[in-house]
Amino acid sequence: MPADMMVKEPLVKVEGLSKLYPLTTGIFREARSFIHAVDGVNFSIPDGESLGLVGESGSGKTTTGKLLVRLVDPTAGQIQVRINGSGTDIAHLKGRGLKTFRRHVQMIFQDPYESLNPRRTVFDTVSEPLAVQGIGDVVERERQVAELLALVGITPPDTFMFRYPHELSGGQRQRVAIARALIVLPSFIVADEPTSMLDVSIRTGIMNLMQDLAEKMGVTYLYITHDLAVARYMTNRLAVMYLGKIVEMGGTEEILQHPLHPYTRALLSAVPVPDPTLKREPPDIKGSIAKAIDPMPRCRFYDRCPMAAKVCEDNDHPPLEEKGPGHWVACYRV
Amino acid sequence: MSNILLNVEDLSMHYSTRAGEVSAVDNVSFSLKKGEAMGLVGESGCGKTSIATTLLRLMPDNALVKGGHVYLDDTDLLSLREEEMRQVRWKRISMVFQAAMNALNPVYKVGEQIIEALETHHMFATNEEARQRIVELFTLVDLDPKMLDQYPHEYSGGMRQRAVIAMSLACHPDLIIADEPTTALDVIVQDNLLREMMALQKKLGMSMIYISHDIAVIAEVSDRIGVMYAGRLVELATSEHIFKRPLHPYTYGLMSAFPSIIGPKRELTTLPGEPPDLIKPPPGCRFHPRCPFATEICTKEVPEFTDMGGGHFVACYHPVEVS
Repeated sequence: MPADMMVKEPLVKVEGLSKLYPLTTGIFREARSFIHAVDGVNFSIPDGESLGLVGESGSGKTTTGKLLVRLVDPTAGQIQVRINGSGTDIAHLKGRGLKTFRRHVQMIFQDPYESLNPRRTVFDTVSEPLAVQGIGDVVERERQVAELLALVGITPPDTFMFRYPHELSGGQRQRVAIARALIVLPSFIVADEPTSMLDVSIRTGIMNLMQDLAEKMGVTYLYITHDLAVARYMTNRLAVMYLGKIVEMGGTEEILQHPLHPYTRALLSAVPVPDPTLKREPPDIKGSIAKAIDPMPRCRFYDRCPMAAKVCEDNDHPPLEEKGPGHWVACYRV
Repeated sequence: MSNILLNVEDLSMHYSTRAGEVSAVDNVSFSLKKGEAMGLVGESGCGKTSIATTLLRLMPDNALVKGGHVYLDDTDLLSLREEEMRQVRWKRISMVFQAAMNALNPVYKVGEQIIEALETHHMFATNEEARQRIVELFTLVDLDPKMLDQYPHEYSGGMRQRAVIAMSLACHPDLIIADEPTTALDVIVQDNLLREMMALQKKLGMSMIYISHDIAVIAEVSDRIGVMYAGRLVELATSEHIFKRPLHPYTYGLMSAFPSIIGPKRELTTLPGEPPDLIKPPPGCRFHPRCPFATEICTKEVPEFTDMGGGHFVACYHPVEVS
């Protein structure tokens, strides 16, 4: 079959991904209850796309991100990532396989005050992945680090290379963290709230940088955020999570303009708007987010849903269904 | 009787550190009407929290008031002795800080700790009276009074902030200063809490000072907004004026850098550079190194905080005309 006839596999494909955390009752007792942090999640990310994962704290978005870079081992499910042209299930990789995988997949964390080692210089931090992967010698690494620092806007690189994190501002630290993630030229990056600790005037710079780099270096993102306004600018597609489940997924603008799931609607209507002349209606939602401890076999959103009906209680959590072109919703009532 | 509750005049405050004196608040003046909600917005290190702690005289030991007055009615709070100041805190001005509940002792019930705090401040004659009041306040902020007999870990983030708000209302204050009251809360909880605070403010006729880095939150709750940059108040006007026709280039930059989910998706602009080091603040206008409109005078003279009409104050030699 000629190459152009082949349907290209997505870069990342997740099927039935779950992570359950046991609630232990004692050292010698087996756990009887589990927190369903991520519960049967399916999605795929094609090359060059940026998928946003949004939801409240406790929705499982960060756990999903950590599963995708294998900082957390899944309880069940498959994570297919295309490495060197072929799809590999990374859910159970070990040793050498896992190390190769880390050349292709990296993570950027939320807090650049926590994620950089205070005793290591910028050069140490950024070049470490090269050392781990055994790429180049010291001279070569120094050249690569300098080149990348210039690219992420830490200029001139020579003056910053041997500084420590405390000598950098918050924005500069996050740029260093981004450089550390990019140094091995990964194809996929999980970015967990990379701008939420930064001030507004610094934030836009980092957002633009991440978008530029995606274009220049062909990086695909999973962008985790609680801030829907930031997600609007950083993602092409959105997946809205609630208690370990994706409840709605589709094009970012499509979801922001025409949300279908009652949870997404409530979430969007609660976002404050920077316009004092607009008066928002209060979000249509009951109660507050619970923990997904041994959830009942019904819609996860049942207790808080303004449209809850018998069908939502009698059946298990609804599957994601395509309700419009590329617009998936998990709800019996939509 | 005037309807001005609080009048801050030329307030300046420094922190002395090993590296030098940090000019955290510089010549800040504003006044607050009875029943008014004012917002102070700005980025980290701009001095908004320093103003709050100075108003309450709760600054850290290395803070030094360099000048200015804080008049509550006709009393200058900065001239009061500590015992007199204690009569002001809670009773006239109280506060809601970010994550204040995290300071609670995890092994004691929340109710016991709140009552102990109220007792320490001699706010109620007897424990029973204090308890009665706190039950009343929990009901007011929509918390089940049964929660008083629970431990801090049993409270969610939103419930914690509600409890803090309940405490702040204990002695019928005239003014509540809320410093990042909803930061770190999820949007739905935040929305709920802000609505609650606005309703309480109206119902009880209090004044509020909201402090936040989030201009969208400030826009929703404030009648007037003060924008701070590097220790100075650079613009002060009604919320509508600030958002519809900002005059200071920094305010304008802040607005255009702020993403929104409503309206057309416009391009976000970036402010070049970073806020200055306040040990050696730039001379003249502190924003001039980042300002696209800066001219020679901006690098030398500090612009006056002037009323451009209708109580729209701005400190800038080249107020931007934005339509």
